[in-house]
Amino acid sequence: MRSKSGEFDFSWLFAIIVGAMILVLAIYGVVRLSDTQRYQADTETAKKIEILTNPLQAGFAEGKFGTIEFRQTTRINNLCSSEKFGENKISVSTQSSIGDEWKMAGGEISVHNKYIFSSENQEGDNFYVLSKPFYFPFKVSDLTIMTSDKENYCFVDAPEIIEEDVLGLNIPNVFVENCSSAVDYVRVCFGAFGNCDIVVRGSCSSNCGEWDFYDTGIVEKNGATMSYIGNLLFGAIFSDENVYECNVKRLMYRASQIAEGFAERTDLMTARGCNTNLKADMVYLQGLTGNASSSNLVGIYQVAKQTELKNEQELCGLW
Amino acid sequence: MIKFNKRGQWKIQQMVFMILAVFIFFILVGLFFLTWTSRDVRNSYEELEKEQAISSLKVITDMTEFNCGSRESLCVDKDKLRIMRGNLSLNYADFFEVESIEFYVLGNSSESFLIYDSGQSQQKKYSTYVSVCEKDSLSGYVYDKCEVGKVLVGVKLVNG
Repeated sequence: MRSKSGEFDFSWLFAIIVGAMILVLAIYGVVRLSDTQRYQADTETAKKIEILTNPLQAGFAEGKFGTIEFRQTTRINNLCSSEKFGENKISVSTQSSIGDEWKMAGGEISVHNKYIFSSENQEGDNFYVLSKPFYFPFKVSDLTIMTSDKENYCFVDAPEIIEEDVLGLNIPNVFVENCSSAVDYVRVCFGAFGNCDIVVRGSCSSNCGEWDFYDTGIVEKNGATMSYIGNLLFGAIFSDENVYECNVKRLMYRASQIAEGFAERTDLMTARGCNTNLKADMVYLQGLTGNASSSNLVGIYQVAKQTELKNEQELCGLW
Repeated sequence: MIKFNKRGQWKIQQMVFMILAVFIFFILVGLFFLTWTSRDVRNSYEELEKEQAISSLKVITDMTEFNCGSRESLCVDKDKLRIMRGNLSLNYADFFEVESIEFYVLGNSSESFLIYDSGQSQQKKYSTYVSVCEKDSLSGYVYDKCEVGKVLVGVKLVNG
């Protein structure tokens, strides 16, 4: 490296400096490239979640259950916007063993035609997807409830019909009654007091069957109170308040649009001699649900129930 | 005037040439990798769009906005199609998450219902057969009058 006179050879110095620059640039390029690859993979995963939940929709069943498995621990973010039909914005980040444990999430995928109830952020290797239909009084949509395998739920004092529902679907992270003390549970108490993380209080006041009692009510969770009707009970138990309230508004808007369609349908049916007197009810329901939130749920539900009774008595029912 | 050693100058020229060659080599490798990656992204996108379109066929026909309400899958109501091809479907523009939705009645009436079209010219369409029914009455009896139909769902083509 040194010349005969003992001076540092210029060509070596030049090669070392430029070589170091090339190495630094190459390392920077590889890091940026791996970040881009990770971003792409995380965005694809978010899109796949949307697609994989399609066949898991309950459809005409009482409920459906499925599992989404990941190769490595994954964090799913669920942000909700309630403008008109609204959307769930799903993004995913994967756990990394190099550098920051959780890097920036991949691109957000907007899901407009599903109502995904979950925590705003949850981590796990497997995610359990439960789908339940939501009627108001006609079917509005399926509710997609997503929980992680890192959280176990214990239902305490649940009515038999809910117990059967949960046990029948074999949801691996939901247990009923004798929950082992070895596992850390989120305790969901039905009407009970004491050591409960989530409390469900039914609001039926008279002629209540076992399920009727919990047909409407409130769910108290993390200091928040969420009103529910029907299967929204599961949405309230398994999701954060923000996600729940937002999805309820979206569902109400969707119900108003369906009611508008039904109101128009009454004219077409009447023109064919298949008369129905439900037009005024549909217009009324449309007006009630257009800007409704969870605080209006129980009140509008009474109107919806009356409308359902009328529809059942019609020769040409609307739904 | 400073005199440079000719041998030294020659060495520097050699070095500069080598460095340029190494740079160009890395740039070419990088460009090749980027092309390969972008093709991979495009293929993944198309594959995901295809999967979404196929799974959307059932999801869309099962929506209350279309379904014949008889608790049967892949059965759509003709009245609802008539309504949804009107102004009401304008509210649903982003809702369907596909580029287009069309229904065709393949029976005697041969009607078509364009429910939604984003205006995207390059589309690939996926279809399935459905029942298209409407409630009718004859001598005071109400019955479902059904025909065979087809639903087409379009997705965006990246290379198209």
